[in-house]
Amino acid sequence: MSEQVHRLVYFSRNAMPGTSDEIVEGVHQILKSSRRNNARAGVTGALLFNSGCFAQVLEGPSSAVSETFERIQWDERHSEVLVLDYAPVDGRVFPDWSMSFVGASQSGQHLFGDVSAASGFNPIHLKAAQVLTTLHRLVMDEEKQTA
Amino acid sequence: MQDLTESFPDRDPAVGHDTPTVHPPLPPHDALMEVCDRLPCAFAILEPDGLVSFANAAFRTLFNLSSHPGLGGPDLSRVASGAVRSLKSLDGRILPVNPVTFGGGRTLVLVEDKSSSSPAEMTERRDALTGLANRVVLKEQIVTALTGPEPDGTETALLLLDLDRFKAVNDTLGHPIGDKLLCRVVDRLRATVRKTDLVARLGGDEFAILQRSPKQPEAAKALAQRLVDLIGRTYLVDDHILNIGVSIGVAFPPNDGNDPDRLLKSADLALYRAKEEGRGRFRFFEQEMDARAQARRTLELDLRRAFALRQFEVYYQAQMSLHDKQVVGFEALARWRHPQRGMVSPAAFIPVAEEIGLISQIGEWVLLTACREAASWPGNQRIAVNLSPMQFGKAGLVETVAAALATSGLPPERLELEITESVLLDDTAGTLAILHQLRSLGIRIAMDDFGTGYSSLGYLRSFPFDKVKIDQSFIRDMPTDGDSAAIVKAIIGLGISLGISTTAEGVETEEQLNRLRAEGCTDIQGYLLSKPVPASDLAAIFNRSTHP
Repeated sequence: MSEQVHRLVYFSRNAMPGTSDEIVEGVHQILKSSRRNNARAGVTGALLFNSGCFAQVLEGPSSAVSETFERIQWDERHSEVLVLDYAPVDGRVFPDWSMSFVGASQSGQHLFGDVSAASGFNPIHLKAAQVLTTLHRLVMDEEKQTA
Repeated sequence: MQDLTESFPDRDPAVGHDTPTVHPPLPPHDALMEVCDRLPCAFAILEPDGLVSFANAAFRTLFNLSSHPGLGGPDLSRVASGAVRSLKSLDGRILPVNPVTFGGGRTLVLVEDKSSSSPAEMTERRDALTGLANRVVLKEQIVTALTGPEPDGTETALLLLDLDRFKAVNDTLGHPIGDKLLCRVVDRLRATVRKTDLVARLGGDEFAILQRSPKQPEAAKALAQRLVDLIGRTYLVDDHILNIGVSIGVAFPPNDGNDPDRLLKSADLALYRAKEEGRGRFRFFEQEMDARAQARRTLELDLRRAFALRQFEVYYQAQMSLHDKQVVGFEALARWRHPQRGMVSPAAFIPVAEEIGLISQIGEWVLLTACREAASWPGNQRIAVNLSPMQFGKAGLVETVAAALATSGLPPERLELEITESVLLDDTAGTLAILHQLRSLGIRIAMDDFGTGYSSLGYLRSFPFDKVKIDQSFIRDMPTDGDSAAIVKAIIGLGISLGISTTAEGVETEEQLNRLRAEGCTDIQGYLLSKPVPASDLAAIFNRSTHP
C-alpha cells in the first residue's frame, strides 16, 4: 500500500540560552526525543542545527507531519518558525532516517555555510528546495564518513 | 468517521412525515457528531494502528489529545492492548478506562468519570466544539475567586483573548477549516496553562483564561507573552499553512473590578487597546483606559445632542483658478462649536459620527445649509460638499440632493459633490448608478483625497469625474520629498490626459503655488488663499478681487 507523503520544510531560530556546550546538549535532547516520536508516527526527515538556526525537513502522512509540526511549534527552545514549504510529494527524500542530524561535524558546518552565506543568515531568503537539497547532500556525506 | 456513520442505518424518510419539524433535519453525520459531543460520557475511538479517529467533547475536556504521551497526552496505544487500565486527566485525576474492541479492529475507549455531569449540564456549561467551559462557568469561577479565601496567597488574573485574522480564514477557507484551526488553538491554550487555570470560550474567536498564581502580575505577564508567541506560530490544517495571531487584555480582581461583569469589562478595555496598538500583543488594564472610554462615551452623547442644540456650523474655504486667479468656488466644511469643548476638530468628531451613524444627518444638514448660503452669493461661485460613504448606503440620496437644490434655488451646475475612493469600494455597481443619477441632475462630481487610498486608475476610469483633488499631505511634502513631488506631477498629468481639472489642497506657500502652476494644475485651495471661514466673513473674500 503506497501512502501519500507530505513534505514540510521549515526554518527557525534557536531560543535556548547558555554556553555553546549547553546548546549542543540541548540540540541532542531535541534529536533524541524527535527520533523516538517520529519513528512511532511514521515521520522521517533531517534536522540541521547551525549558526543559531534550525532547518528541518519532515516527511510522512499529512496528519502525522502536521501533528509532529504542531508539537514542534509548542517547543520554546526555538522561535520565529518560518514554514518554507508544505505540500504533497511523490516520495520521501529521507526514507531511512527517523531524524538525520547535520551540524555537529566540521564538514557539515562548512558545507551548509554556502547556504548560510548566500542567504546572509536570513531565512527569508532561503528556498525550500535549497534547504532540502543541501540537507540531503549533507546527510549522504555524513553517511559516507561514518560508514 | 465515515464508517461509523455508515454503521447506522439511514433514517427511514417516512418516519418524519407525521411530525412536521420546524428545523430542517441535520445530515445524519453532523447530528451524530453533535449528539456524541453532548454525551456526558467521555469516549474515543482508536483505529487498529492505535491512532485516535474520534474523541467526543467530554473526552477532549479530560485529555489533551494533541500532546504526545511524553508531554502529558494520554497513552492510548497501550490502552487498546489492555496494558494500561487508567489515564491521568488534565485536572490531575486518575480515571479508569475500559477498552471495548469492535468492528474492523477498532477500539472504543470508555472513561469512567464519576464526576461527569448530566447531558443538560454539558450543553449549558460547555462549548460544543472545543469542550471548553463557557461564559457561565467563567463568571462562577470569577465569583469564587473574588469571595473565596486565598490561604496560600494565590492571586487571580483574567486574560481575555481575541484571535487576529481568524475571520479571514473562516471567510476564505470555510467553517470546517476554521473549526479545525480553533481546535488547534484550544490545544495550544490547554498546553500552556496550568491545571489550576480555567480556559473558557466566550464566542467565535474569543477566549478567556482565569489564571491563579501566587506571583501576580508577573505570572499573567509571562502567560500572555507566551500565548502571543505560541498562538501566533504557523498552523498546518489539512493542506493549508495558516497564520493568525492573538491580542490579549489582562485585568486583576478586585482592583480592576470586583464583580464578573466589571472585571470582564476592564479586561475588554485592555484588549481593545492591545488591538488598537496593532494586535498580536497584550495590555494590562489601566484606569486611564476607563477614563478614555468614558470620555468617548461623553463625546458620543454630546454629539447626539449637538444637532438639537444647533451647535453645528458650516465654514467655507475658497478655491482659486490658477488660470485667471479668480475665486471660483468654496468647499463647505462642518464645524462643531461646543459650549465647553470650544471648536471641535472634524478629525475628532467625524469618525465618531460615522461610527454612531450620525454622519448622514450631519451631511444632509451641511448640504442644505451650504446650498442655501451659495444661492445668496453675489457671483456664481461653485459650492463643494462632501458626501460620506454612509450616505451612499442609505436610500434616497439622489432625492435629498434634488430637494436641497429645489429648496435653495441653487442652479445644479454650481453644486459639486466630493467623494473619496472608499465610496467606490463596496457595491460599485450600485454606487456608480447613484453617481450617474446625480450627474444627470447637472451636478459636478469630484474625487477627493486622491493619492492617499488605493489611488486606483480603475476608479477614475469607472466614472467620468469632473475633478480630482490632490491630498494635502503630498502638497505639504512636495518641496522636500521627491516622491511626493512625483506623485503630484503624476496626478496632474493624469488630470490633463483625462481632460478633468485638478485641485491641489493645503497650498500654503508661494513655492508650492508656483510649482503646481508649472506642472499644469488647474485650481488650488489652502491657507495661502484663505483658511475656512464662517459665512459672515465671506464678504471680505468676494470683495478681494484677485490673489497674488
